[in-house]
Amino acid sequence: MAVNWADRVSAFSRSPSRFLSGTTAEAFLAELLRELRDDRASDSVKVLLVSPLCEHPTLLCPSDSEGEETALELMSVFAQCPAKSVQLRCHLLLALASVLVCSSCVSVRSPASRDFLDLLLQVSQDTGDLHGDGALLSLRATACDCLRELEACSPGLLSQHLELFGGLRQRESSRFHQAYAGLHSLVLRNAVYQLTQETGAGAEQLKALLGGNTSVAWEADQDSGPTNNTDSTVLSSLILGPMGTVPSLQTGPDCKELRSILSSLLEESYLLTPLCQAALLHRLTEVVAMVPGVPPAIFRAQLLRLLGTSKVCLLHTTLLMKCAFTDSLFSAEDEAFIVKRLVALSQHPLLTDPEKLFYMDCILHFPENRPIGCGDGDETLPVLLTPRLAAALLPTVFNDSATMLARLNLLSLVYLEEGEEGEGGEGRGLAYLYEHLMSLLRIVESGGSRETVVAFFRASFLFLWHFYHMECYTSSLVEKLCELYLRHSQLAPHLIGLADHTQDRLCESNWAEGLLKALQRVITDVPLAQLTSQDLRSHLKTLARVAEEGKIAQRSTLHFLSSIIAPSSSLCVSGDWRLGNSVLAVCRRLLVHPSLDSLLVPLADILQHLACRYGDTDVQDHARLYYALLTTLSQEKLAGVLAQGATEGGRQVKKRSLSSIVADSEGLTSMLTIHQTERAIFSVVEMNPELRRDTQADKESDLNQSEAGECPDEASAALEAYRSQFDDPDFASEITLSYQLAHAQDPDPRFDQLFSIRLHFSLTDDHYEALSDISVPCLFRERPPPAVQLRLKPRRPHPTTLRASAIFTTQDGLSWHTVLPAIRVAFQQAFMPLPAPPAWRRGGKLNLFEGLWDELCSESGECAASLFCCQLKEAALIGLVEKHFLPYLISDWSRKEEFKVLFFLPPQSHVLLKIRSEEDAVHFDVATDNWQLLSHISSYLLTITSSQEDTHS
Amino acid sequence: MSVRALWIISHEKGENVSIRFSRRFSTVEHRAKCLAGPSHVAVPEESTVLQLLLTELGLSDSDKSYVALRDDCLHRQRSPALELHVDGPGKGILWPVLAISQGPLILACLCLVDAPPEPRPPLANLLSVSQGLTLLAGLQNFLLGSGNKPDSEALASRLATLPSVLLQVCPLGTPLDVPLLGPPATPTVPTPAGNQKQPAWKTGLHRGRAVVNVALKETVRSMQYGSQSRQDLWDVYGTCEVEGVLPNVTVTLTLPPNGSPLQDILVHPCVTSLDSSILTASSVDNSDGSAFSGPYKFPFSPPLEPFRLCSYTSQVPVPPILGSYELREEENQLRVSVNLKLHESVKNSFEFCEAHLPFFNRDQMGAVDVKVSSGQLDVSKENNLLVWTLGQKFPKSREVTLEGRITFSGPTPGPTDPLCTELTAYIKPENFNPKSTLYGIQQDRCVVLVERRQSFCVQDAAWVQTFSCRLVQEDVPLCGPSYKFQPLDPFCVWSSDYRPK
Repeated sequence: MAVNWADRVSAFSRSPSRFLSGTTAEAFLAELLRELRDDRASDSVKVLLVSPLCEHPTLLCPSDSEGEETALELMSVFAQCPAKSVQLRCHLLLALASVLVCSSCVSVRSPASRDFLDLLLQVSQDTGDLHGDGALLSLRATACDCLRELEACSPGLLSQHLELFGGLRQRESSRFHQAYAGLHSLVLRNAVYQLTQETGAGAEQLKALLGGNTSVAWEADQDSGPTNNTDSTVLSSLILGPMGTVPSLQTGPDCKELRSILSSLLEESYLLTPLCQAALLHRLTEVVAMVPGVPPAIFRAQLLRLLGTSKVCLLHTTLLMKCAFTDSLFSAEDEAFIVKRLVALSQHPLLTDPEKLFYMDCILHFPENRPIGCGDGDETLPVLLTPRLAAALLPTVFNDSATMLARLNLLSLVYLEEGEEGEGGEGRGLAYLYEHLMSLLRIVESGGSRETVVAFFRASFLFLWHFYHMECYTSSLVEKLCELYLRHSQLAPHLIGLADHTQDRLCESNWAEGLLKALQRVITDVPLAQLTSQDLRSHLKTLARVAEEGKIAQRSTLHFLSSIIAPSSSLCVSGDWRLGNSVLAVCRRLLVHPSLDSLLVPLADILQHLACRYGDTDVQDHARLYYALLTTLSQEKLAGVLAQGATEGGRQVKKRSLSSIVADSEGLTSMLTIHQTERAIFSVVEMNPELRRDTQADKESDLNQSEAGECPDEASAALEAYRSQFDDPDFASEITLSYQLAHAQDPDPRFDQLFSIRLHFSLTDDHYEALSDISVPCLFRERPPPAVQLRLKPRRPHPTTLRASAIFTTQDGLSWHTVLPAIRVAFQQAFMPLPAPPAWRRGGKLNLFEGLWDELCSESGECAASLFCCQLKEAALIGLVEKHFLPYLISDWSRKEEFKVLFFLPPQSHVLLKIRSEEDAVHFDVATDNWQLLSHISSYLLTITSSQEDTHS
Repeated sequence: MSVRALWIISHEKGENVSIRFSRRFSTVEHRAKCLAGPSHVAVPEESTVLQLLLTELGLSDSDKSYVALRDDCLHRQRSPALELHVDGPGKGILWPVLAISQGPLILACLCLVDAPPEPRPPLANLLSVSQGLTLLAGLQNFLLGSGNKPDSEALASRLATLPSVLLQVCPLGTPLDVPLLGPPATPTVPTPAGNQKQPAWKTGLHRGRAVVNVALKETVRSMQYGSQSRQDLWDVYGTCEVEGVLPNVTVTLTLPPNGSPLQDILVHPCVTSLDSSILTASSVDNSDGSAFSGPYKFPFSPPLEPFRLCSYTSQVPVPPILGSYELREEENQLRVSVNLKLHESVKNSFEFCEAHLPFFNRDQMGAVDVKVSSGQLDVSKENNLLVWTLGQKFPKSREVTLEGRITFSGPTPGPTDPLCTELTAYIKPENFNPKSTLYGIQQDRCVVLVERRQSFCVQDAAWVQTFSCRLVQEDVPLCGPSYKFQPLDPFCVWSSDYRPK
């Protein structure tokens, strides 16, 4: 079967995830290995087959055991390869290194990785190139590369072969000596690093290391298993600027062996390619930095050659040396020369743009001999970079945008410093930069390309970033930008972006606000007749941004809005959905504007107009929603509702959505939906009975005090007067029950503070009239619970259960619905004292009692009389009356022989009790005009008497 | 020190974008993971990288005038290293991504950060960045050759050789060399030359005549504003290209009497040693008049292919052509008057010289009534361009003039340019290549020494001078006020002494 491996392999490397969705990594790996073993496949195909293993070893061999197996397979393929297949054998070595390193086999020193290491060492020493065609040379070079990579990934792996590599390097005279040099220098660097980490290591150990007499301890160390690889610092460069610390190896001045190795490497360094040279010099710089015994002057002979080179990596190496050694290698003159050189190279006509940008970056992070700053990565200028020198890097309109911006940034820093120092000719440089900015602006104005436009706004931001405090320039910039905007309104997003970023980044400046204010002015001043629809779209976008500014007055914006949607304009009729939404976007921001109070009427007019007249239903709907929100919600609530979506989404989201309404509605849903709590947050509980008694007693005493005036003497007259009160249907028809709200036991901090609580009650039977809702302003966990008065209007005074629920708001502005525990209304809670006319004295009430009693006992129908007896001592009886009946007592308290008690139960039921102590028991004579209450009365009496017995027995 | 991944992308002005080659270096990625720890961001798949890279380079969504991700003013476009903001799973920032773009190709690589990831180290601390730049430039040179536009077949065939090229120059993500331009030389066993080691850039031995070719090329840049408020500017930069196959050569360059010293000298890395005085003269600092003025000695061991031995800049006393350019709007026509004067020191002999006068932001040309004192005039009405062919030499007087009227009454608007508005315009000589160098090095002052007295000859030493100019009429939007070290830019710009009201 002919498989097109080129296509398969390229499909895999283009998108491994998609490729592997059609097969498994295991199956693909098996296929690859099978094909590699196939003798019929050509070398070029096999080279192709190896590449997935080089590029994605972790996908194909996810575990170390798979890596191990694959490596063994590859090694056997390698062993069977004919000697002339050099390319394939090289690629196989690369694949082996990739698989073993990435599956962590190397770091745990697995058997396969040991075998591979042996193979590499053997190939790298195999100098018997009998064919004379140099084929083996490149295989040896590749083996060295693999060894170097293994050492780089597992530092210290090859430390004990240090001397071997040194020898190989010196013997090799073909151009591949550079492979050995690279390997040797890296192993040396890592070995020295390892020594610095060992306590007590010094000259002796270094000598032993370099001489190849690696001590037994070392060997044991190597064999004991993986070296400690959790610390990645050994992998990272040791030259990190003034803040970096370099571990050091105290050897004393005498380290001849190391010195001779270093000088031999350096002497031949010029024979390496620039890239290898740079790597070598970097490694050696690290070594010398770690061993104070070797003077950095060892590099001196190389410096001029490196500084004169056209290769960026070589010059960079000298900068890194400077960073590591400062004035121990570079004099003040050298430093001045290097700064000058960097400036010259930053604008050299024969260098490429990325190189020049890199050199400019190097100027901004120049490793000074005596750095003033702490080198925390910020861009600072070297002291030696004078304005005169830097003038070579003045930006011009002919620069490409990246170069121009880099130069502008650098020169801004220069002039910023110059301004601070207050030297002569101050401000001239700044004036130049500003004029440059204006030149860019003019190019944008006369139709510059998109790139120019973007570059101009980036330049403006840079200018503001550095010079926001220079009022005269920044205010002039505002003016120019407004003029530009009027002519090119399509720049609105750029201007908004500029305003956003200056506001974010330059907190102490109010430039953005000034710009937005000026934009608002120019937009609202333009005669409407001149507006194109593109202009209008941009203007609305800009005004929406302006409306986000709390400090900018919005009257003129509103005026603009109302004039564009005025009946005379065609906007409303056209019903353009996008434009409509743009208008709404402005309105939406105005809804949360702090000065909303003063904008209310015109804004409501605009929204109403849109809701009624706009030619697009969606826009109408949204306008209506906003109108409803505006007219019904308080400003705080409105701000909470609308602000939520805006801040959560952030600016990015707002910009990306097609119209802001899409993003808005997300915020609105969460704000406008009422969420359901999982369990009761608080409950309505009966108020402490003691308290309630007090309040009732107060009322009673009030009544007593106002006791004056006429009261009928005759029972019948009293009855008549009493009954006449009920001509008014509302008279004494309600009972008022006192409750309070109490937080549930398990605290949920979200609900510690509740606001605008609306309690809703529903009935479980038809004994009572429906209850109206009750509002409670707030309920805080730490404050005294608020009292709630429940006004029940009974149809029949039976005990009942009320279901209760509540809607409330939490501090974060969300609304919640919660179901409260049910409220039981007991029979006795419906008792009321006799609603006798307030002027009556006790005598009148007594008359009434007697009249009623006679009537109830004589009449039939609804009326009924009964007797309840129980065993109670006299004292207990008095206690019982005092405790339960006092508010309802009609007879005089001093007359203990017979208590006359009257319970009034709305709407018009009465229960009369005559309580006397007989010989054998206490008799409760009961008369009522509603016989259905008898069962409740008897259970009530039973309850209170039995509890009284308990307390007194 | 290494790169994590490499991509080569081809495009046609942002359209038809495709990744032509990509390579991930898994072992370097492994190191990156160890170094960055939890903040490691893995390299996403090709298509994602492509998308992010184009956005970062400002090439995505070319039909949209503003895309926040692409056009944001906070964007750090001024850095040579890009950030790729990876979204979705494995979210994070890939940095530093280097990208160089030339003609139809974008080459990009992701460098290893061998430093603690937080706070982000400055680029200047990462050797991998300059190495990446060198590698990319080498690959670009290999793929595109010296010209910018290779035919697509040549490009495809070079791309096809990349896997084996990378095996040599960047086998495991650590760049070792840049690819050679010529066909890959078969590695040869060096002739034993004592203990002398072979330079790594010599891929083999040349068996043939010992020849050294030297070509000097100087380019003069000039801007002439013809304005009181702004200085005219000119300078020269040059290169010395060498092809030689001898083991050790020394080229010595000497200045003419009173010649300006060579500045900002950059040498090829095969130059074995340099005298410190050669490097001291710098264009950015003209403080010392007693600058070193030669001879400039460059001992080197040349690679097998032609290479640029050194490049330099220099100050020139006078521009080779002095010109004036006047434009005047008269009724419905434009009055044009040009005068060009060749300096006495320039040899009056060119390959073929012409001057271009483009007009922008106007309707197409109608009637053109222009006379020239020498040469002939071609009018390209659709491009609003006058081409003034001066031929191989100026007249004896060394002065030519052009005078006349042009009306712009064509039916369609001509080409536009945001710089050349109203009366701002320029004239630009093309192919102005005198057959001798004027500045810097003199032909007879170049000495080539070869060690060990092998026989050699200097063959076809070419002396080329390129001269490109632009001429600007009105000084409105160009470069701000003149400043002493006002940098020059790719074109020479001339201007007349005409001052607008």
